Amino acid sequence: MSTQAADLADLLARVALRDRSAFKALYEAASPKLFAICLSLLKDRREAEDALQEVFVKIWHGADRFAPDLASPAAWLNTVTRNHAIDRLRALRSGSYTLDAAEQIADPGPDPEATAITSSEGRRIEGCMEGLMPERAEAVRLAYVEGESYLELSERYSVPLNTMRSWLRRSLIQLRNCLSP
Amino acid sequence: MTDLSTDDIALAGEYALGTLDHATRGTVAARIGRDAVFAAEVALWEARLDPLNDALAPVAPPAALWRGLEGRLFAESPRPSPWRWIAAAGALSTAMLAAVLWFGAPLATGPGPMWVSDMVSEDGSVRLAALYDEDRGEMRVSVGGEAPPEGRDFELWLIAGEAAPISLGVMPEAGQAAMPIPEDLRPLMLNATLAITDEPAGGAPGGVATGPVVALAALRRI
Repeated sequence: MSTQAADLADLLARVALRDRSAFKALYEAASPKLFAICLSLLKDRREAEDALQEVFVKIWHGADRFAPDLASPAAWLNTVTRNHAIDRLRALRSGSYTLDAAEQIADPGPDPEATAITSSEGRRIEGCMEGLMPERAEAVRLAYVEGESYLELSERYSVPLNTMRSWLRRSLIQLRNCLSP
Repeated sequence: MTDLSTDDIALAGEYALGTLDHATRGTVAARIGRDAVFAAEVALWEARLDPLNDALAPVAPPAALWRGLEGRLFAESPRPSPWRWIAAAGALSTAMLAAVLWFGAPLATGPGPMWVSDMVSEDGSVRLAALYDEDRGEMRVSVGGEAPPEGRDFELWLIAGEAAPISLGVMPEAGQAAMPIPEDLRPLMLNATLAITDEPAGGAPGGVATGPVVALAALRRI
């Protein structure tokens, strides 16, 4: 674990024990990154500020749910933030569309070449994204970082919504096979 | 080693990616709560995709946000607040239905229980009448008198018991507005005081009142 990660893990453990000075230190260390996530997803400063405040209320009350063996502390904080902001984003536009049942997808199984590289290099998602068609890698990024919905993506790429969803689901399975053969 | 179908693995990925619609997210979140294998797959996806956050440069949040958070979580700690004297105000009521009629077009009343709060500033220059329809969970406000100063907005607050005031939103400069009251706030409306404060344009930063109280009045059943 890096020094920064160890520090964050230590702060989270103290916050779980209701240590207010640790909470303040955690806020100072983590809030700029988490605010960037809120802004990027919600695209509205007031919404992002409200979301960040809600996220830290959740962190204060839920720091004991951080499990160091499942995620790095930074990834856990990012996830709490993303889940709150995306729930908010989708709730704001709820009713704009609903998804039909997803098309079933077949698992092509691990790509032998990718597996060989993975095991030799232990590469992470950036490398695996390069294995996707450029347009699909971009769609994954737009969905994750910018919070674009299937509807927005389908309009951007001028494809039917269900086609967009199939693209992304297939891309996800391809990424997974690359990351964890 | 997994009991999940490829479709379930993709669904877990879609949840972490964030693309699911509101209703489907709710269904998936419920499944995370009761299906440990599926929850573990979601956690794996969250970890797999997390490096994509590296693309985001940190942005310092406004300083007021920490103060708001501190006020909200550690309310017993001393903090400058225009609210200290308000605790007793719930008892000082002015339930004047006539206020609703001040502003030209009368506010429509529904068949169910209605609540009214008429807020008038001390010098009478700012007036705001609020009519809450309990059955519909909707409040209509009618704003009259002087507009807020340049670059400022009037913000409406719900004060219930000892809790920190909850923002109900920035008021229009004049005229009427309908405001749906969120489900979780509705029970609070039945024993509450409403207040207007003078805030920076767009409303109090961080959702915590900063400006002086312009007017306040209890919500009274009519």
